[in-house]
Order: sequence, then C-alpha cells, then structure tokens
Amino acid sequence: MIQVVNLQKTYPGTRGVLARGEVRALRGVTLDIRRGAALALIGESGCGKTTLGRIVTGLEAYTGGEVLIDGANIAGMTARDRRAQFRKVQLIPQDPYAALNPTRTIAAALFDPLRLLARRGGKDGAWIERRAVELLRLVGLDASETLYKYPHQLSGGQRQRVVIARALTVEPEALVADEAVSMIDVSLRLGVLNLLSQLRRDLHISVIFITHDVAAARYVAQDGQTAVIYRGEIVEMGPTDDLIQRPVHPYTQSLLSAVPVLHGLEQAGPDRFIPRPTEQGESNDSSSCLFADRCPFADDRCKAAHPDPEPWAGAPDDRLVACFKPKERKVVAVPLSGRASNQ
Amino acid sequence: MASMNVQAKALPPLRRPNGWRTAGRVLVRKPGRIAGLVIILTFVLMAAFGPLLYPATLPSDAAQIYAPPSLAHPLGTDFQGTDVLAEIITGARFVLLSAFLAAFFTVVFGTVIGLAAGYARGLVDSVLMRITDVFLTVPQFPLLIVLSTVWKFSSPLALGFVLGITSWGGLARAVRSQTLSLRERGFIEAARGLGLSNRHIVTKEIFPNVAPFVVMNLLFATTGSIYSEITLFFLGIVPFSNNNWGVMLNMAFFQSGAMYTTSGLLYLMSPLACIMLVTFGVVLVLDAVDEIFNPRLKGV
Amino acid sequence: MAAVMEQSTMPAAPEVRIRNLSVAYQTSTGLFDAVHKLDLDIPKASITAVIGESGSGKSTLAMAMLNSVTFPGSIRSGTIEYAGRGDIVTFDRERLRRFRGEHAAMVFQASQDTLNPLKRVGAQLLDLARSHGVKDKRKVLREARELAERMALPADRTLTSYQHELSGGMRQRVSIIFALALHPQIVLLDEPTTALDVLSQSHVLEIIREIHRERGLTTLLITHDMGVVAELSDRVVVMYAGRIAEDAPSRELLRRPLHPYSQALIRAIPRLTGPLDDAQALPGAPLELRQIPKAGCVFRDRCPARMPVCDTGTPELREVAPGRRVACHLEVTP
Repeated sequence: MIQVVNLQKTYPGTRGVLARGEVRALRGVTLDIRRGAALALIGESGCGKTTLGRIVTGLEAYTGGEVLIDGANIAGMTARDRRAQFRKVQLIPQDPYAALNPTRTIAAALFDPLRLLARRGGKDGAWIERRAVELLRLVGLDASETLYKYPHQLSGGQRQRVVIARALTVEPEALVADEAVSMIDVSLRLGVLNLLSQLRRDLHISVIFITHDVAAARYVAQDGQTAVIYRGEIVEMGPTDDLIQRPVHPYTQSLLSAVPVLHGLEQAGPDRFIPRPTEQGESNDSSSCLFADRCPFADDRCKAAHPDPEPWAGAPDDRLVACFKPKERKVVAVPLSGRASNQ
Repeated sequence: MASMNVQAKALPPLRRPNGWRTAGRVLVRKPGRIAGLVIILTFVLMAAFGPLLYPATLPSDAAQIYAPPSLAHPLGTDFQGTDVLAEIITGARFVLLSAFLAAFFTVVFGTVIGLAAGYARGLVDSVLMRITDVFLTVPQFPLLIVLSTVWKFSSPLALGFVLGITSWGGLARAVRSQTLSLRERGFIEAARGLGLSNRHIVTKEIFPNVAPFVVMNLLFATTGSIYSEITLFFLGIVPFSNNNWGVMLNMAFFQSGAMYTTSGLLYLMSPLACIMLVTFGVVLVLDAVDEIFNPRLKGV
Repeated sequence: MAAVMEQSTMPAAPEVRIRNLSVAYQTSTGLFDAVHKLDLDIPKASITAVIGESGSGKSTLAMAMLNSVTFPGSIRSGTIEYAGRGDIVTFDRERLRRFRGEHAAMVFQASQDTLNPLKRVGAQLLDLARSHGVKDKRKVLREARELAERMALPADRTLTSYQHELSGGMRQRVSIIFALALHPQIVLLDEPTTALDVLSQSHVLEIIREIHRERGLTTLLITHDMGVVAELSDRVVVMYAGRIAEDAPSRELLRRPLHPYSQALIRAIPRLTGPLDDAQALPGAPLELRQIPKAGCVFRDRCPARMPVCDTGTPELREVAPGRRVACHLEVTP
C-alpha cells in the first residue's frame, strides 16, 4: 500500500548567530507496508520517525528517494492527483486537542470532509449525518453525547477517538499514528490502541504506529513488523514480538533496556544494561556506524565503516540488522511467576 | 471500550447549540453588558428614526438664542435659537452611520487582506504587506484635506469609505500574524490532509479563531471613527453638508465662543456627552465578545 | 486514624505531615475540591510517589505543598507541617519566598516553560542565588557546572544558552540543576520525565536516584507512569478524584494492589512480555472536578466490584497492614 524506497530528507543548515549545519533527518529509509498490515516505527525523539510519518501523509516534502502509494509514484504527479493519493493516508497526531479546531463542534469537524464525499458520490445531507453517527459508533463513541460538543468538553481519550473518526471520513487505506496515545490518560490508552487494531481488522486499514513506547508498539503491531530507527536510518527490523524478545542490534537493546521494570511484578532481563545518554555533538559522519559513539559494544571496525542492513540468520523469521557485531541479548524484563494481583 | 459514556451521563442531554441564542444569553448575563446594550440600542434607534421626527430644516427662533434648559428645550438652544436636543437626535445618523461604515470597511479590508497574506505566504504575502505598509504610512488627515478639495463628503458612505480605507493597515498586520501562527496548528494540517479546500480552511477553520479579535476591532474602529470624524468636522477639514455632532462642536466653539462664555455650554457639552456615552456603551459590551466566540467560556 | 499510622508505619518522624488538606477551585458553577481531606506523611530521606490520572489532584497537591496554589484555586482547610519549620499554610509572603528553593524546591515538567526565554541559564541561576541572599555565588555556579557534567550536559555551553537552544531532555536536566542550586532538603518532582523519550527518561531517573541518595533528600515524585514509580520510588500513593485510593510500598502495590483502581491501573499497562490479553483498558474516563460525587465512593462508576454501599457510603482510608492504607468498602487482605 505504502512503499518508501531509499527515502531521504535533509533540512538545510541555518545561518546567523545560531548557525547549524544541515540536518539529515532521514538517510535512506526503505519500507513496504501492505494493505491491512501494521508497522511500528520506534526510536528516540529526533530520530526521524515523525518526519517519515509526515512525509507519507503528504505534510512534508522529501529530498531524495521515492514514495509510492498504491503502487503509484508520488513524484511527477500533478498537485491535484498527489492530494488525492495522500488522502488515502491519514495522520493521527500526538495531541488530539491541537488537532481539533477549538471553535467548532465535533459535528462540524466530521461534516465538512463528509460533505466533500457526499458531493462526489451524489449523497444527501441525511447521509452525512447518518455517516457521522456511524463513524462515531465505530470508534466507540455515542453520537448523542459527543456530536454537538466542543473539543474541550471531551476527555483526552474521546478526543483522540474523534480525531480517528474524522480521519475515517475520507475512507483512508492507511493511518499513521504518531505517538497517538502519549498524551492520553493511562487508563484510556489501551482503549485507543485496541481501536487501532480493531480498525485494521475490520476495515482492512494499514496502521503505521510511530512511538518511543515499545510496549505500545508491541500492542498495536503484535502481528506486524517493527522497525527501529536511529538518526534517520533503520538499524533493525523484524516481526514485532520476535524483535522485542530477541533484539540483536545494540541500539534496540538500549531502547528496551531503558523501559522501566515494574519491580514487584517483573524483574530485569539478564542482559539488561544501562544505556548511554545522547552525546552532544555526535559526528555526522556516515562513514562509520552512527551508533558507535554510544554503543557499549563498539570496536574499531564500527568506527571505520558503516554497516548496511543485512538479514540476520539467527532469527527464525526475516530480520534485518545493520550492525557489525550483532548479538542476541535478553534485555526485556521477565515477569515474576503468578500475577496473583490481577485475579 | 464500548462504554465511554460513564461520565457523560452526568451531563444534561444535548441539543444542537444555537449560536444566536447563546450570544443573546451571554450579552444579558451581567448588568454592565445590559446597560451597554441599552445605550448602543438607544443611539442606533436615534440614528435610524431621529431624522423622521423632525422637519428637514430645524426651526430656529431668534428670540430664543442660548435659551437655558426648559420643558420645550430640554438641552437649551444654540446661537440660532435651534433646539439642541433636536440637533443631537437628527445629527446622530450621519455620525453613527459613517462611523459604522468606516469601521466596517476597516474590518473587511483588514481581515480579508490579513487572512489572505497570512495563509498564502510567499509572493502574495509580500505584495499585500507592501500595499499595507503604504496605507499605514499615508497619514489620514492630510489625505482627507487633499481629498476634500476635490470631493464633497456629503454621504456617510463616502466619508466612511475614506476613513475605512485609511485605517485598515494595523488590523491587516495583526490578522496576518495570527493567521501565520494558526496555519501551523494541528487542525489546519488535518483539514489539509483531509483534502478540504483552501477557501474552506480560511473561512471555516481559521476565521472563527480570529473572529473575536475582529469583532473587538469592529467595535473599537467604530468609536475610533467617531472621534476621527468629529475631529474632521471640528477642525472644518471636511465641508459641512448637513447637521451632525461634529458640526455642532465646531459651531459651539467657533461661532458661540464656548471658550469665552458659558452661555453655549450645553450646546458644546451635549455632542461631547453623546460621544462619551457611545464609547462607554461599546466598552461595556466589549467584554462579552470573547465569551460569545470562545466555546470554552460559553455557558457551562 | 492519623495516630495509628504514625506509630506503626513511620518509625522516624515524618519530614512532611499533611492533615485534612482540601484544595478547592472556584468555577462559575461553584467551589470544587481538587484535593479532598487528604492525610499524608512523607517520611524523611525517602522517595514517595504520587500517581494519578488527569483530575486526580496530584499536581494540585504538589502546588499546595509549596503553598503556591494560584487563583481560582485555594487551600480551603488543613495543615502542611514541615519538620522543624512549621505549617507552610500559615507562612507570610517573605517566609514563603525563602522557604521555596532553600528548604523545598520543585522540578517542573520540561514542557512547562519555567525559564525566562530572554535570559541565559547562568544569569538566571545567579538571579536565583541573589534573591535568596547567597554569599558565595561562585560556588552556586561551580556546583551547577558539576551537576551539568554529571548529567552529560556540556557545562559551559549549557550555562551560556538560552532556553530555546536546549532540547526537551536538556531543559529537564537544567530544571533539576535549578531545583538543587540552593541545597533544599525536600525536592518535589512534577512529572519529571513526561516529555522525554525512554532513553532520556532512564537517564534522568538515574540522576534523580543518585542525587537523592547522595544528598539524603526527601523526594516527592508526581507522575502518571507506573513504570517511573516502579523504578524510582520506595512508596506510592495512588490518587483518584482528589482522594487517596491506596497507599503502599511500591513493590507491594505492584505485586498485589488492593484497591480496584490500583488493580485496573496496573492491568491497563501494555507490557513487553506475557500474553497481550493480560492488559485491559479501564471503562469510562477520569472524573472532571465538577463530576466528582459528593457522597459515596468516587471510583464507583468505573469499578468492576461496585456494591450498593458504594453509592452512599464514602470509604474511609484505613490501614489494612503496616504501611498499607486502602479506601475501599471491599474486604481486603494484603
């Protein structure tokens, strides 16, 4: 459904007092998401995952490589065609409150895009209202209690559901959820994550889930793929659960080691290590491994050459790893026996 | 997951909100606002029907020059023996109508150009802002002096238009900067992603967010225009074509010598008091504007 | 109840002792308690976590502890006694100003702009020292530099930076430097890692842990994240709708939560191992201020174990085992 090939994005450097060099947000990312599939993109802030999400939803331009939606290359399309293609890929942003116009009701937010569709399909006003109610029900909201409210009158979870319902108005083929639950109350997060899985199942919509919360990624992309991004490159990719339980790249292991352990309920994995913090002024030199400065296992070779993603033979399913010293480590927390607490 | 409605049960049942009704409720929620509304309505009625109550030319009575207040002349009479109250009432239309028109033109030009420049950015923005700068630079009074030599400002529309066209620059700049920041907001991005048209985005998504600011400016521009207008007449920059508050002030000052005698005091004070009252009314209503447009402040 | 608690759970005298604290917000429809009749002891040299969702009153509690609740909120009743310092609720303005920063300091969320955008970090640090009458300002800067180095911040560059030149993670660490500058004994951390990704979070948690231990601080951690609680705190107070639902040693709570809300909260966390179905969402949404019922249990609408008594009887926060308090009508055995 969505293919990106060797995608690159470089922000030009700035001049003046706060001058900085050009920033390479994406350094050649290749991905292929099929219809109805799930893909989680994980990495720390600034790694380029958000940029990738904005590019495939048409909100930002790219500087190299290719983006294909439904097999059609975006480059060379007329602006009108491009807009129509990108309408198939809808973004669910991090902050649902910012994504809704505070001066307009939920009804207005849903009716506008529906009116576009109605005009194209020769439907009437009654259809618009019916469809809005239907979509709200689909995302788990009761229309009679939400339709004529303003965004500030809803809870965080309800707002994010409204944003999802609005994205569904244009009948998209893929949703890109960028940290879509990080600003929602903990008790409501799981509900929204479940909703994304349910939409995938029922409507056959592809979901790209962008996050730094590996557990949430596991939840949404349970039967899909996870790609770990570091400084604009995919450093490891594979089936989600396999990747989490048996990470091979030291950066993936760092990310997983950093996940808090719920002491009392689980214990730290045997190989867990303390990840090194982000260094200031990391080298921008792509002739070495970009993670070498922070990698606890790096040697001279890592500083001399740049590893490319290669299949890793040690995993049962297909796994790509860009590392000279790949090694499986058990860093994920292990549950203590008997979760008696949860009845 | 199906039940998100636990909290909502506590709330009253929903009906489609009615914008006009909410606005009405907000306007009468505080006594100050009611007072402001009453003042403004009084003057609007005065402007609408005042001239119908009196003959086209107000009668003057040479025997009654500078008469003190009496039952027949509640505000006394002027240097010609004309009833001051009648002059105030019949003079309201020109002043208020042209002030409102001036404010209207200011707001329309300012908002449209500000929205267009801020949303389009790039070349359109640069061109529109240079034009705005030109209008910001041209001083209003000298322009009016020049214009009045070739143009008779006998209709409120003409005067309102000229006042409006010379004063939209500041508003355009303010609306533009608000638009620039609004267009980066998540909900604008979402609207674009959904394929909604630019016209829709500007009128339905961005405009409601600048609307309270625009309406406040409409109110301020109205009072501001009253002052400019009165000043013009007072200084005699624009030719007198009919009776209005500005002409009254001019007459009171230069004909009746209000500086030196107290006999024409009421004649001088009456138009001034009216201007202050209108401004007062506007200020009283002003604090309701935010509440009308901001859903967060509405009712609850 | 308070008397019982002191004897059995806190062998040492508490550093902070909160009694019957109510903080209310004035709205157009009335006065609502964001924190309601709260009793809490914060033991010396421990890390106590307060966990809750939006509207739980956890941040209001933190503000109240520095007596800095702002309009339309106000402390309606209660006392907040600091060992050897007295009840902060009764402090006058000057005493409060000195107290904040010197005795107790707050680390704000990185997303909150607590730094002056027009001044360099170092200059602001000096302002802080000056306003508290610190004689040796060099020392303040030197210590700040040391702290920065430890937190992997380039010290000189950080002190000469403006706020906007720092990333979220850096700003969070700068906020910690500010809080520690005047050597307070009590540190309040308000969502110290919320704006950060996992890697920055684990690093900031590590720093907090180290400094807490080194300086023997009494730390209060406000968070919504059970992971942060588990990694950092000795003890956790679960808040819901302005009330304490449960209060227990952190590991005990995670091992065996007693209040249905604590149970549901822990069950709602997506995990990295185990069957995915183990995680379950809570029904409903956290209560807003004006939705909090006046009588009965505040959690009853979302509670799977709701009983008739929950509608009318307000559950008392009672001690069920040494150091464990629960506010629930259910019979619970730890």
